[in-house]
Amino acid sequence: MQLSTSEISELIKTRIKDFSTSSEARTQGTVVSVTDGIVRIHGLSNVMSGEMIEFPGNTFGLALNLERDSVGVVVLGDYEHITEGDVCKCTGKILEVPVGPELLGRVVDALGVPIDGKGPIKTKSTDKLEKVAPGVIDRQSVSQPVQTGLKSVDSMVPIGRGQRELIIGDRQTGKTAVAVDTIINQKGQDMKCVYVAIGQKASTIMNVVKKLEEHGAMEYTTVVSASASDSAALQFLAPYAGCTMGEYYRDRGEDALIVYDDLTKQAIAYRQISLLLRRPPGREAYPGDVFYIHSRLLERAARVNAKYVEKFTKGKVKDKTGSLTALPVIETAAGDVSAFVPTNVISITDGQIFLESDLFNAGIRPAINAGISVSRVGGAAQTKVIKKLGGGVRLALAQYRELAAFAQFASDLDEATRKQLDRGLMFTELMKQAQYAPLTVSNMAVTLLAANNGYLDDVPTEKVLSFESALHGFMSSKYKSVMDDIEKKLALDEDGEKKIIKAIEDFKATNTY
Amino acid sequence: MAEISTIARPYAVAIFNLAKEEKALSKWLDMLSLMSRIVENEDINSFIHDSKVLDADREKLILNICGDKIDSGGKNLIKLLIEYKRLLILSEITLLFEELKDKDEGVIEAEIIMADQPDKKMVENLLQSLEKRFNKKIEGKVVIDKSIVGGTKIIVGDTVIDASVRGQLDNLAYTLKA
Repeated sequence: MQLSTSEISELIKTRIKDFSTSSEARTQGTVVSVTDGIVRIHGLSNVMSGEMIEFPGNTFGLALNLERDSVGVVVLGDYEHITEGDVCKCTGKILEVPVGPELLGRVVDALGVPIDGKGPIKTKSTDKLEKVAPGVIDRQSVSQPVQTGLKSVDSMVPIGRGQRELIIGDRQTGKTAVAVDTIINQKGQDMKCVYVAIGQKASTIMNVVKKLEEHGAMEYTTVVSASASDSAALQFLAPYAGCTMGEYYRDRGEDALIVYDDLTKQAIAYRQISLLLRRPPGREAYPGDVFYIHSRLLERAARVNAKYVEKFTKGKVKDKTGSLTALPVIETAAGDVSAFVPTNVISITDGQIFLESDLFNAGIRPAINAGISVSRVGGAAQTKVIKKLGGGVRLALAQYRELAAFAQFASDLDEATRKQLDRGLMFTELMKQAQYAPLTVSNMAVTLLAANNGYLDDVPTEKVLSFESALHGFMSSKYKSVMDDIEKKLALDEDGEKKIIKAIEDFKATNTY
Repeated sequence: MAEISTIARPYAVAIFNLAKEEKALSKWLDMLSLMSRIVENEDINSFIHDSKVLDADREKLILNICGDKIDSGGKNLIKLLIEYKRLLILSEITLLFEELKDKDEGVIEAEIIMADQPDKKMVENLLQSLEKRFNKKIEGKVVIDKSIVGGTKIIVGDTVIDASVRGQLDNLAYTLKA
């Protein structure tokens, strides 16, 4: 027989001491049927929607359907030991998960139970899984950037703190890579991260955790995992659990980032639960409230004002705004964005990063389609320097796309057109970036400045990226003070611009790329 | 598939309304419990289930057994249930009817579970306080169950007031494990 960690005499002592012996009045019911994780219960006359129901054997369920004669409950976890005739009780409680900084660096399941084998998590508080999003009065507009470290995202589809930016694309287009890169780049940016893995293979989740650990990103990250083998109920609940963990920071005047990878799987899990509960199916067999499950989740990602934070912390934190930035991921089938769930989430979020398999296969990674990727509020939050320098990229790529289609028919092109095509090609090449290699703002600024001022026009396309990395190396060794200045101010004045241009000219003269 | 109680409810409500109009609630309850006991009988149950049996024969059999213990209303109910092929929900109808009757009369049943035979005064006190809490007349039934060790457990409808030693021990075990 093994001794468990909770059997320490001091722990047992406090538990016995605090144990209250009052009698309790609870309503109970009898299990009528058990089908695929859905239990029908007769009785429970005082049950509330969303209440936790206690089954024998320390199992809990969530009351979802309240009908005239029975209650439909979805079991959280194993249900094999529940049989017809079992007595179950109301608990009078709504589902809660542990929250707090103690969760950082850990991998937990949808109920906040650690699954990384690093022992119990001693969180000081728990919070409700389902909460109402902050209202209009409590909010503040998005004005601070989230640096993803990806050239293409930060320059063309900037993301602000408190924004909801959708990452959408087919399978194998690098959706998770964009999200994970963003988490890795938050090191030292005073941002806590939550990565919610829904319906993924356990091995994939394991790889993500390993990569985060390798890059030192687990220090400020919590991973919530509801893998493909977990019950549909847990897959459905995992995003809400992660959101509650992220809201902890938002409400205390800190910044947090949450990635839901991916919400398509959550919708599928919810569809399963709904159909088993015999709710009427609608389009694509999804229930009528599939829009609401995503809208209420993403609405909780917000930037709240200092007043809200002060009120929430009872005056402990003053003059600080909090934010929760959400990066939901949606997987499309064969590029079909007009399917039910993708259209829903596109309409809810404040913009989308569209990834395409054609671009991915052509070696353009991240495979972002610059034409249809947008950020509706990020412009206001973009760092000044990137905003100033990044405007040209979008334009150059847009013109390139138009001309490239047209140029396919023309054999003889005039000088101006050819130049523009070359420039577009160069920018396309320049927007490529390796995985797990986020760029700092200063490096990004130097790259963009060099490209905008035509210093890359005479560099052969295949050498653009090596030119870039050599330039970054040159800058950090010879012009460190200029680079540090940009990092500090996140802006570039005329004087600084001149200095960098001179540095680029110096670098080009060395011919070492 | 609708649940049995959902199917049985309209019948029970109809019988209850009729019985109330006729001021014959307890008479109907007697008739219903007799009929449901007959239908629940194993031999009769298998006879009813037999697909070769004609509806007329089913009707004749049940009406013969009931004899003059049921009035014309009761006979009509049997005919109706056979016509709608709902004879098997009779016991559920009876249960629902009983519930409606108790509710109408303001009476609820309470099951008082104790480890040892309590004295009369204690039960009376308990019933009094229960009546105060539920604001209804309570019909108490004492059940002796050694497994609860001590204290009492009271079940009123689906509300359970657990003040038993067993319940406390279970709670303690749960708190220690959590």
